[in-house]
Amino acid sequence: MTKLLEVNDLRKYFPIQKGIFQRTIGYVKAVDGISFDVQRGETLGLVGESGCGKTTAGRCLLRLIPPTSGSFIFGEEQVDLAKLSHQELRPFRRRIQMIFQDPHASLNPRMTVGDIVGEPMRVNRTETGSALQDRIVELLESVGLRSQDTRRYPHAFSGGQRQRIGIARALALQPELIVADEPVSALDVSVQAQILNLLSELREKFQLSYIFIAHDLSVVEHISDRVAVMYLGKIVEISDAETLYQSPKHPYTEALISAVPLPDPSVQRKREHIRLEGDVPDPSQPPTGCYFHPRCRYATDICKQETPELRQITEGVQVACHHSDTLALQGV
Amino acid sequence: MASAEKTSDQTPLLEISGLKTIFPTDDGIVNAVNDVSFSIARGQTVGVVGESGCGKSITGLSMLQLVPSPGRIEAGEILFYRNADDEPLDIAQVSPKSELMRQIRGNEIAIIFQEPMTSLNPVYTVGNQIAEAVMLHDQVDKKTARERAIEMIARVGIPAPAQRVDEYPHQLSGGMRQRIMIAMALCCSPTLLIADEPTTALDVTIQAQVLGLMQELQAEMGMAIMLITHDLGVIADLADEVVVMYSGRVVERGSVDDIFYNPLHPYTQGLLKSIPVLGRTPQSTLPSIPGTVPHPLALPDGCSFGPRCPERMPKCDEMPELVGINGKTENDGHAVRCWLHTDV
Ligand SMILES: Nc1ncnc2c1ncn2[C@@H]1O[C@H](COP(=O)(O)OP(=O)(O)O)[C@@H](O)[C@H]1O
Ligand SMILES: Nc1ncnc2c1ncn2[C@@H]1O[C@H](COP(=O)(O)OP(=O)(O)O)[C@@H](O)[C@H]1O
Ligand code: SF4
Ligand code: SF4
Ligand SMILES: [Mg+2]
Ligand SMILES: [Mg+2]
Repeated sequence: MTKLLEVNDLRKYFPIQKGIFQRTIGYVKAVDGISFDVQRGETLGLVGESGCGKTTAGRCLLRLIPPTSGSFIFGEEQVDLAKLSHQELRPFRRRIQMIFQDPHASLNPRMTVGDIVGEPMRVNRTETGSALQDRIVELLESVGLRSQDTRRYPHAFSGGQRQRIGIARALALQPELIVADEPVSALDVSVQAQILNLLSELREKFQLSYIFIAHDLSVVEHISDRVAVMYLGKIVEISDAETLYQSPKHPYTEALISAVPLPDPSVQRKREHIRLEGDVPDPSQPPTGCYFHPRCRYATDICKQETPELRQITEGVQVACHHSDTLALQGV
Repeated sequence: MASAEKTSDQTPLLEISGLKTIFPTDDGIVNAVNDVSFSIARGQTVGVVGESGCGKSITGLSMLQLVPSPGRIEAGEILFYRNADDEPLDIAQVSPKSELMRQIRGNEIAIIFQEPMTSLNPVYTVGNQIAEAVMLHDQVDKKTARERAIEMIARVGIPAPAQRVDEYPHQLSGGMRQRIMIAMALCCSPTLLIADEPTTALDVTIQAQVLGLMQELQAEMGMAIMLITHDLGVIADLADEVVVMYSGRVVERGSVDDIFYNPLHPYTQGLLKSIPVLGRTPQSTLPSIPGTVPHPLALPDGCSFGPRCPERMPKCDEMPELVGINGKTENDGHAVRCWLHTDV
């Protein structure tokens, strides 16, 4: 495998402003120094409770918002996308695309499906005339829609079909990487399975890589090769999907897994449940030391004082916990 | 989560039969709830599961005569055994605005929704709102009601209750707001709590807290719970009995073990197979159900699941009845609405 993207120490701090002079009185450290890489053809899952910075990280990668610091080295060219001007960024824009949670909000209700899917190609002048029309039909068919659908408007489609339209649009410029932000969270279970299958199929067909963002661990496990777990703007564990769920190495990962109710009543009755107390802390005033310590049942004194670094503990497994060597945590 | 301390004694609390709730619209009549029958025993948890639009919420609202206009209950019975010895009361016949209905809503059947912000008043403190609910139920003065509010806030596991009592809903996290809703719903010790997607908007860790709290309070107070959700994991976790709905109808009903280990309806089977399960060796393709739920004004003839069903046969052009399995009657035990399991 070759590396497609390498993210180093990405940070995004949102200023908190107050008063008529909009003085900055603090920062929401939405993304607080995360590093990971994505191989070509790979799906990296990004999980964590709401507010932990998943969406912000995704939006930074696409340069939809400017990162505070960090670098993202992309492609064979090894270009640092974080440093490029908007002008220089243009040729790279088409190579990374995004799919959103709410397909309804991200599709212009006044445009036909054909116009929506064709727009990126028109703007980038990659296709014109009848070649453009053919390409639109080809894209719609590859996501399971029909050529007749080009003339219809988004409101005439169900949630699952609208997500297909969003996917077709994301594929229009033949991207290499797709950042999918909660793409199935708003869908009914039977439709969710259809979209997950479609994403897997398209990955094979077009050799795509995904960064798949979701709060649903079961969905993330299903689709991902590797998974990164975020807590309060930091990655606390990265590992291949199976290892992560079978033998988590970070107490937060263990707690998240334990909280997922399994659709199997007798297993569910037998499982030991780790109940996390309290809510995720306010990211503008994170706890000292390990951000997870106020909710961690294994916390000791050092956890309150020193922030653990993300470090490799075995091949492919990175964890940010002072005690990961000695803890025996339970998986699914 | 162990449900060992449950006090379900199998005497009926509520028996719904042939319930039909409709919405007249410009384009035709929507049969939101169509010939729905199931019962809830005292202290029991009944899970109602199905995809969006299948009639779960309207079933719950019908049970409290809270169906939004222009909707109305068109047929059926909702027999409520207020006391174990008395004749039941048919809620379907009680006027929505009557004093009797208000009493039932205030004291006997409580409801909580997915988004507590819609039911909490933003301009009053949570303490005021709980105290209000307490005073509706008991003849107590303001001071006592406030003390009870603080007690309830503590009971639902919110830290620093004496401070929280004076906060406004927007100052609380989503999980805390749902706890406040539970506190309000339970301050009158209802015999039934209808929980409509109570944890759908919450993170898994907070969901586990809220569901755990509901179970503890149920063990303590002995109320029955009707738990509406689309999440089969939540159903497996909490429910004793399960009702599976599709397009306004009950398509399968049974104990939680019947539904998960011996599902008979092709829709139930499809749902169970199509969800990714944590820790189960991932398959590259999930067995998905083709197509989507039909529009309520364009239902197919016969079995509503027909167009998506892998087992469809000519007989399916007619609507099957809900029938009992293994010689049981349709009202008792495992029942399914499918021609594959209907002996003619
Ligand atoms: N534009 C913004 N301005 C200020 N704070 C923001 C902004 N966008 C997100 N945040 C904050 O950043 C944190 C991370 O948010 P987000 O990336 O949306 O998390 P997630 O996607 O994991 O739920 C949250 O505390 C959120 O309130
Ligand atoms: N106010 C309304 N007017 C017309 N139809 C409605 C109204 N409310 C609900 N319905 C219809 O009733 C059906 C059942 O809705 P609901 O009980 O909310 O489903 P669920 O809770 O299972 O998602 C749906 O088809 C919905 O479109
Ligand atoms: S560093 Fe300490 S507080 Fe943080 S996860 Fe590890 S044991 Fe828990
Ligand atoms: S009645 Fe027929 S179409 Fe309906 S679920 Fe049974 S087999 Fe399928
Ligand atoms: Mg997000
Ligand atoms: Mg509903």
